[in-house]
Amino acid sequence: MTVRPPTLREKRRYVLARVLPGGMTVDPKELYFAVAEAVTSLWGDDLASRVHPAVLAIENGCAFIRCRRGTERELALALSTVTSCAGQKIALRTIATSGTMESLRARLQETARGAPGALPAGTGISVGGKDVEVIFCESQKIDVVEKGFKNAARFFLTTQDLEDK
Amino acid sequence: MTITDLGLRPYPVGDSSIRRMALEARGLGYDSLVAVGVPPGDYYGVAVREGIIIAGMPAKDAAAKAKRAADGRLVMVRAGDNGFNRAMIGVRGVHLLCGIEYAHRHAFDHVIAKMAADNTVAVDISLAPLILRRGPARQKALDRYRDILMLSRKFSFPLTLSTHADSVLSMRSVREVSGLAATIGFDLDEIEQALAFAGSRHAGSTPVREVP
Repeated sequence: MTVRPPTLREKRRYVLARVLPGGMTVDPKELYFAVAEAVTSLWGDDLASRVHPAVLAIENGCAFIRCRRGTERELALALSTVTSCAGQKIALRTIATSGTMESLRARLQETARGAPGALPAGTGISVGGKDVEVIFCESQKIDVVEKGFKNAARFFLTTQDLEDK
Repeated sequence: MTITDLGLRPYPVGDSSIRRMALEARGLGYDSLVAVGVPPGDYYGVAVREGIIIAGMPAKDAAAKAKRAADGRLVMVRAGDNGFNRAMIGVRGVHLLCGIEYAHRHAFDHVIAKMAADNTVAVDISLAPLILRRGPARQKALDRYRDILMLSRKFSFPLTLSTHADSVLSMRSVREVSGLAATIGFDLDEIEQALAFAGSRHAGSTPVREVP
């Protein structure tokens, strides 16, 4: 198979999206299924075939998602309707769009996550009389789960919430 | 212009504290929030105002509750049938009719639209059905919203845009909210007015009045 010359190749754009909640491991293939379903359900098969989304990589909690040039807006809107991936609740926050992954990586360095939080993951604390375990802490944000329960739901707090309790 | 997200339900209804929601809202481009069941205050530079949602009661009780609501709170009434909505639109103290996507198609007609315009009662366009639902359920919500938008353009009653988030994962940025509103058919001016409505109502409810 001969490779097409650059002028005949389709133009693409790359969207950088942060995966929430932080610290969660997401399989790129599962995320692709979630994104493809979101694009198809929002825009239909016709436009979905034009957007042609693909999840290329997940690095530092951010997903690199590819689409055809001119369909970035449609992809970004569809990303806002992604609410779960492989049965887990997630959200995708679009950070930037670019023509190359390299520039997105540079952007990712610029908008690096905040300072690590004071509480490392696994720390046991008490909130409102309940024993909880920190599973993610970054800057002022703290995600906790209740101890002793399998598949316990995640709670989203701040450092100030812990000081008050 | 104060950009406000409405109808947030923080812990214990949801899984996020109001502080965490305010912190997230700041990053998403909001200036203020209206949350249910939390004291008003300023968290991380985001003004949080208390809201009250009146739902699941007869019109008489709902009207009494709306009148009893303290000043400064945004009073939202969940839409019911045509008679209920007509009664609630005329009640002093009701700011907003929400949950219109769950109501019957004829529950909000041109008569109620005219009353809403006369009383400056807004109709809330919740983006939660667009984000969370799929297939016919989302199509039905889109259809209802387009009908409401058409009536709003004809009778000039205010609209609001909200996420009704119960978690930081359900919150969406101003850009995403604008984009989803554009899929309904909102133009840029309408989006700005809808996002600013709650803030303007708050500013208008201050005790200082100009006396001629």
